[in-house]
Amino acid sequence: MSAPRTSSSTVLPPVPPRAPIVAPAAPEAAVRRPPRRRPIRARLGPYLLLVPALIPIAVGLGYPLVRQFVLSFQEYGLAQQFGQPAEWVGLRNYAELLSDPYVWGVIARSIAFCLVNAALTMAVGIALAVLMTRVGRAARITLQVGLLLAWGTPVLATMTVWQWLFDSQYGVINWLLAEPLGAEGMRQHSWIIEPASFYFVATVIVVWMSVPFVVFTVYAGLLQVPEECMEAAQLDGANAWQRLRYLSLPMVKPVLLVVGLLQVIWDLRVFTQIYVLQRAGAPTRETHLLGTFIYSLSKEFSLAGAMATIMLVITLALTVFYIRRMLRDDV
Amino acid sequence: MTRVRTSGLAAVGVGLMVALAACGGGSETEAGGDEELRLWLAGTDTPQELRDYLVETFEAQNEGAQLVIEEQDWSGLVPRLQTALASEQQTPDLVEIGNTQSPTFTHAGAFTDITDMVDGLGGDQLLEGFVEAGTVDGDVYAVPYYSGARAVFYRKDLFEAAGVEVPKTLEEFGEAAVALQQANPTGAPNFSGLWLPGQDWYNGIAWIYSNGGSLAEQDGDEWVGALSSPESQEGLAQVQELFANATSAPKDADSAEPWVPFNNGEAAMFSAPTWARWSIDLPECNKGVATDDESEEAKALLAEQQACNEEKTGIFPLPGPAAGEPATVFAGGSNIAIPAKSGNQDLARNLLEIIFSEEYQTMLAENGLIPGNSEYADALGDDVYAEAALDAALNAKLTPPAEKWADVEGARILEDFFQEIASGADLEEASARADQLITDTLN
Amino acid sequence: MSAARPAPAASARRGSTGARLLGALAVLVALVWIFPIYWMVNSAFLPTNALRRPEPTFLPFGGTLSNFTNVFRDPGFFDAIKVSLAVTGITLAVAILFAFLGALAISRFRFRGRKSFIVTILVVQMIPAEGLFISQYHMLDTWGLVNAVLGLTIVYVAAILPFTVWMLRGFVAGVPMELEEAGMMDGLSRTGAFFRITFPLLAPGLVASGVYGFLQAWNEYTLALVVMTDPGQRTLPLWLQGLVEANKATDWGVVMAGATLISVPVIVFFLVVQKRMSAGLVSGAVKG
Repeated sequence: MSAPRTSSSTVLPPVPPRAPIVAPAAPEAAVRRPPRRRPIRARLGPYLLLVPALIPIAVGLGYPLVRQFVLSFQEYGLAQQFGQPAEWVGLRNYAELLSDPYVWGVIARSIAFCLVNAALTMAVGIALAVLMTRVGRAARITLQVGLLLAWGTPVLATMTVWQWLFDSQYGVINWLLAEPLGAEGMRQHSWIIEPASFYFVATVIVVWMSVPFVVFTVYAGLLQVPEECMEAAQLDGANAWQRLRYLSLPMVKPVLLVVGLLQVIWDLRVFTQIYVLQRAGAPTRETHLLGTFIYSLSKEFSLAGAMATIMLVITLALTVFYIRRMLRDDV
Repeated sequence: MTRVRTSGLAAVGVGLMVALAACGGGSETEAGGDEELRLWLAGTDTPQELRDYLVETFEAQNEGAQLVIEEQDWSGLVPRLQTALASEQQTPDLVEIGNTQSPTFTHAGAFTDITDMVDGLGGDQLLEGFVEAGTVDGDVYAVPYYSGARAVFYRKDLFEAAGVEVPKTLEEFGEAAVALQQANPTGAPNFSGLWLPGQDWYNGIAWIYSNGGSLAEQDGDEWVGALSSPESQEGLAQVQELFANATSAPKDADSAEPWVPFNNGEAAMFSAPTWARWSIDLPECNKGVATDDESEEAKALLAEQQACNEEKTGIFPLPGPAAGEPATVFAGGSNIAIPAKSGNQDLARNLLEIIFSEEYQTMLAENGLIPGNSEYADALGDDVYAEAALDAALNAKLTPPAEKWADVEGARILEDFFQEIASGADLEEASARADQLITDTLN
Repeated sequence: MSAARPAPAASARRGSTGARLLGALAVLVALVWIFPIYWMVNSAFLPTNALRRPEPTFLPFGGTLSNFTNVFRDPGFFDAIKVSLAVTGITLAVAILFAFLGALAISRFRFRGRKSFIVTILVVQMIPAEGLFISQYHMLDTWGLVNAVLGLTIVYVAAILPFTVWMLRGFVAGVPMELEEAGMMDGLSRTGAFFRITFPLLAPGLVASGVYGFLQAWNEYTLALVVMTDPGQRTLPLWLQGLVEANKATDWGVVMAGATLISVPVIVFFLVVQKRMSAGLVSGAVKG
């Protein structure tokens, strides 16, 4: 018992174990595994380890996904659920969707919304993360707590509050604009009646909800940029901006890539925020994005399934650059 | 007793998961076996007293059977019906369903044919539009549970200040609303003669119906949007006039909570189901009783407050085009049906009979709901609220009984359409577009 | 893990006006971010008829606790807490354990199908979930797992696993093999070395993934809606929606009090693990 304890306490650097792990670990990982033949047991090992994760994914997501995919080639609505035979219709559902200019409009809007939101979230998130490295402890903790609260409060509650804030008649935002700021015309301003304004409100809310994740991740990344590099750069006369632009950001690039990819995936499937805002009084048809549009089809399961497949293809198209890169580097 | 249902699941990590589930509050237990009948009631409309009556009566009449009433939220009802009604294990045995959702599920084959029961349940006395919403090819699958209609609430003092009388015709009503808006007796910056938010089609379609128009008409096998018909257009023109000159309500709001601006002195009238009387809370009447205060004193103060509110508030059914008859308003309410997959068809029928008994129907009426069998509607009483409700309800009309009407609501076509009207869109163009969407959705 | 953060080089050079301005900016941003949450809590202390007035009430002076009293009087609240805790707890435990094993496989071994697996769990996250509930319900129904904590847990675990595996994989790869090998030289078995040496280092990663899983399971609504139809089996989000509809006219003060109470465990969980998280998130992400 005593041997392992001493060994671990000597092998482990007292603190900080994190810092060295991040950047330098990557090359090590590549060298680490010699391509020698392993015994059978070792070769089976990874599969055994994978099984517990694979089965729930296959069962809980894989099966419904395959079924959804199969249904997308049938005519399957509510009546089929109650026993009527489902008819095979080949690609008809896809043809119906893809020949509808409205659907293309939804797709275009969704991609635009997704890219704008992902970009804004990243920009604000990185800016705040950088800000955090430059302020005192008290200010930093205040900011951290604020972001944590925004991230951790149930969406159901925060969406109701956002709805109230932007309410035309009693919204606090209109009141603030009209009373203390004197913008009389904003007293009963309808924020969500014009699609452009609707997307502005939706963007505010989505960014508000997504930024905390980005800030915390990027901030931690920035902290781990080795001190010596910064000092060396400073001695070389690099100012704060140059140090950030040419030193810190490139070093946290892997973090930025991953977080950015997640933002693209999540913002393309954005659902709750749009759904709630639509119900608050927005023109529905003009404000549908892919998530709400699929949901509105959900009584025609086959059509919804076809749309979901189309959406998967779009997501893959948007992220193919990243996926290929990942496969090439074989992280 | 605390065994979680695991039949048939021979999968991963079950050991761990079951162990945790069993100790973690998963209280799914199998009690009573087959003789348990499950009734799904939607929302809170059915008062507790009536639920108790159903359980007691049913269990007394059906030895060994047990009635379990499960309340479902309106907002999640459709996805739940979509899934549960198709499952033999999970389906409720009797289910309340919104009247506008009724045709969709009826056409899909979700319910049992109960045509043979109709005469016994009330026959021609059953609310007609509701029966129609549950009928396919002459066979009845769903019958009316209750209905509630809309009536107009108004502030007596504001009417007086503006010199406006309770209107006798639909035209006078419009004039009164405009006059109140112009007079603005409270001086509020956003004053509305009539609170009519942009997406409030529930109230708006009263003008279409009262002028003889409709939302969609059946044409052979097809349903066709009917907003462009001359009658509908006439009504819509009146609605657009109200939007323009009789209301300051936001265009991006719906019929929810119309009493809020009313209570705030920002609206002289609003139209809502008659139960809205309990939400009227004028500041000059408010006694400041905490909502968790259950003392006798608090109850007395609340009664006083309610009396004060009702003293200052009046109610009338929306008047029709000709004096002396009410407008044709939108009827809210629900149907009740036996799911086809239920394994307790006979017991469900027994329960249905209890629901349509004179005693239960009378209880519905006494609680301010217009009962499915109109024969017992008199039990509503004769105060102003009951009278206004009854007048409005007897002339009320539902949405079209088209199979896919629920999809029209799901796509929020009418919300969008009325919002366009409120924003001053060209009537004919907007109607033609909406008609097209309705037609496309319904077929 | 707080000590893991090297003090930023700039700390010694603080105190200038510029730094103070930046500090003020940070606090200002924090206030903007907190405002909606503040508004929720503020509303929870106000009677419903004070919530939507022409003049907003910014501070709950003369407020009331009766909204909270009403929540605590609702037996459904406590039932829902039990169900939510059970679902969230089991989901977390199972998902983290399974994801950890999976991450171990793909970061410590090379094997046929490894790349396909990595790509699959990435692609799976791209599937829109809104259309899946019908099939998922159908599946649970076949197994008799509707209205059961276990049933909901299975779909939650499936939903959370891909992200968690992906994230944990980076953490596992980030712990140098040499540490373990040194442990083995000191006489530990391979497994022993792993659990005594590598495992503790993974704590931040497990915590970070746990936070994600916690939020997902705690707040999920759509699936819970169709799976848990029995009023006694409602999760907290379902209960909150029920509160919105409990009266014909929603008592928003009570709803906000309910929402505030639902948020408390999340925020406590956060504040407890917050420091570990910052470190945990990034090491996973870098490997991503």
